Amino acid sequence: MGLLQISVSVITALLIGTLTRGALRTYLLLASSVLAVYWFQPALPLRSFDFWLPSLSLALSILTWLVVFPSGEWRLRKNLIGLVIILGFATLIVLSRDLFPDPILTATIPPQFSQYLVFLLLAGLALCTFGWLARQRTWAIGGVIFLLIILLVVLKTPAFSLQTSIFVRTLANRPVENAEFTDLRWLGFSYIAFRLIHVLRDRQMGRLPELTLPEFVTYVVFFPALAAGPIDRAERFTRDLQNDFSLTQEETLLGGQRIVLGLFKKFVIADTLALVALNDALATQVRTTGWMWVIVYAYAFQIYFDFSGYTDIAIGIARLVGIKLPENFASPYIKPNLTQFWNSWHMSLTQWFRSYFFNPFNRWMRGLKTLPAWFMIFVGQVATMLLIGLWHGITLNFILWGLWHGIGLFAQNRWSEFIRTRYPNVGQNSRLRPVLTIGGILLTFHFVVLGWVFFALRESSLSWQVFQKLFNLL
Amino acid sequence: MRTYSLIFLLVLTSLLLPACASNTENAPVQAVENYLNALIEKDANRLTTLSCGEWEGDAMLELDSFQAVTTRLEGLACEQTGTDGDTALVLCNGSIVATYNGEDQQLDLSVRTYQVVQEGGEWLVCGTR
Repeated sequence: MGLLQISVSVITALLIGTLTRGALRTYLLLASSVLAVYWFQPALPLRSFDFWLPSLSLALSILTWLVVFPSGEWRLRKNLIGLVIILGFATLIVLSRDLFPDPILTATIPPQFSQYLVFLLLAGLALCTFGWLARQRTWAIGGVIFLLIILLVVLKTPAFSLQTSIFVRTLANRPVENAEFTDLRWLGFSYIAFRLIHVLRDRQMGRLPELTLPEFVTYVVFFPALAAGPIDRAERFTRDLQNDFSLTQEETLLGGQRIVLGLFKKFVIADTLALVALNDALATQVRTTGWMWVIVYAYAFQIYFDFSGYTDIAIGIARLVGIKLPENFASPYIKPNLTQFWNSWHMSLTQWFRSYFFNPFNRWMRGLKTLPAWFMIFVGQVATMLLIGLWHGITLNFILWGLWHGIGLFAQNRWSEFIRTRYPNVGQNSRLRPVLTIGGILLTFHFVVLGWVFFALRESSLSWQVFQKLFNLL
Repeated sequence: MRTYSLIFLLVLTSLLLPACASNTENAPVQAVENYLNALIEKDANRLTTLSCGEWEGDAMLELDSFQAVTTRLEGLACEQTGTDGDTALVLCNGSIVATYNGEDQQLDLSVRTYQVVQEGGEWLVCGTR
C-alpha cells in the first residue's frame, strides 16, 4: 500500500465510521473492501491478471462461504445484497474500460465485457454446482482446503510460478522467453488463503458461528488488513462488525495515533533503513566485517519497522470503523528467549500455525505413545517453523530460515529444561537475574539477526558468503 | 423486491454501457498514448500488457534505454493516419523529454509511425515504421 492508498483508506474509514451504523456499515465495508481488492493489486505483465486474480480472491471467498454455511432461507436478503455489491462493483470496473481512457481502479485496462461474462458464467456454474453438491459435506471442506494449499504451493514455488506464467503466455500467444516467476504476484493471497483455511477448519470442528455473505467476504478481504494482515479470527471480527458502533472522538484519536505511528515507522524509519539494509546487491558489494554487521542490523530493524508500521496502519484504520484487529508485534527484539520472540513477532501468523498445525500435530504424536518427549518437541517445533518459512516462499533460503528457528527453539527448550532441573533457584537470585535477562535479550536478538541473513537473500550461497564476512572467515 | 430491482438494474446497465461507449473508434490512438505513458513512467508490467507479443521484447529494450534518465511527455497528441491491412497507423506529435544530470534531451515522437494491431480484441502497439 502506498501513501495514496493509505490516505484514501483513512478517509473512507472515517466516513463509514462517522456516518453509518448497523447493516449499512457492513455493506459499505464490503463495497470498500471489494474495490480495494482490485485497486491494491499491482500491475502484472500478464494481460488483465490484475483483474482476474482479485476476482478469483472474491470467487474463492464466495465458494468457501457456500461450502461452510448452511443452506435455506437464512438471511437470504442480506446474502443477496452482498452478492449484488460484489458482482456490481466487479462489473462496474469492467465497464469502466469503455468509459475512461485510463483504468481507474485496476493497474491496467480491465478485460473486455465478453470475457468477463464468460468468467461470470463459468464461475457461477462452478460455484452453484460445487456449492449445491458439497454444502456441509466433509469432503468438500477438505477439497477447498486442498485447492487453497495447491494454489499457495504454486504461487510460492518459483519453478511452479514460472511454469504457470509460461502456460498462460502460451495460451495468450505471448513470448514465453519473457516469463518470470514473479509474473503472478497475487496481492494478499497468503493472508486470504489462511483466513479461508481457518474458517474451513473451524467449521470442520463445529466451532464457527453463522456469518452472512457480506460479513464473511468483508472478513476475508477487509481492506485495511488485505495487503499485510494481521490474520484475524472470523468469530472475533464478526462480533466487532455486529456491535453497534459509532465513531467517538476518543476512538478517532486512538486510531489516528496508530496510523501516524505506523506511517512514521514505515515511511520514515523503514524506508530510510532500506537504503543501507542487507540485500542481494549489498551482500556482494560490502567487503568488511564491520560494514556487513551494519547492513545486517539495518535489515533487522528495517523489516521490523516496515512490517509493524503496516500493522499499526491497518489496526488504526480498522479502529475507525469499529474493528479491533489483533496485535501482530509486542516489542519482539527485547525478549529474553526465542520462544518469547516468536510469541511477539507476527503473532497472528504464529497463533494460526499453533492452532491449525502445532497443537493438532503434537496431539497426534502424543497419541502414538511410543515417541520420547524430546523427540516430539523437536519434530513439532522444527516442522512448525519449517512451514512458517515455506509460507514466505518455497525456496532453499526460507527452508534454512525455518530450520534455523526450529532448531533454535528446540535448543532453547532443552537448555531451559536443563537449567530448571539442575539449578532450580537460579532465576530467583536478584543479582544474577538482570544479567541473565540482558544476556538472554542480546543472545536472542543476535540469533534472530543472523536468521535474517537467510530470509533477506535469494541464494543460500550468498547467505554463506555473508556469514563468512560477518565472522571474518574469508 | 428492491433487491431484484437492483439486480435487474445492474444487468441492464451492464448491457447498455458498453453499447453506449463511444471511444472505441479512438482505441488505436488510445493504445499508443497509454503505451507512451507507461514507457515514460517506466512501468514494465503495463508496457508489456500494451504491446503485442512480437513487440514485447523491443518494448522492454526501449524501456531499458530510459532507465538511467528521468522522463516526461511534452505536447503529446496522437492521431490515426491510416491503415495497412489489419494494422492501424498512428502518428504522434510532441516529444519525450529525457533529463540526465539537469540536461534535457528532446526525442521527437513525430519521426516514427506506430503500428497498432488487434490481438484478442485489444489494440496493442506492435512496432514502428
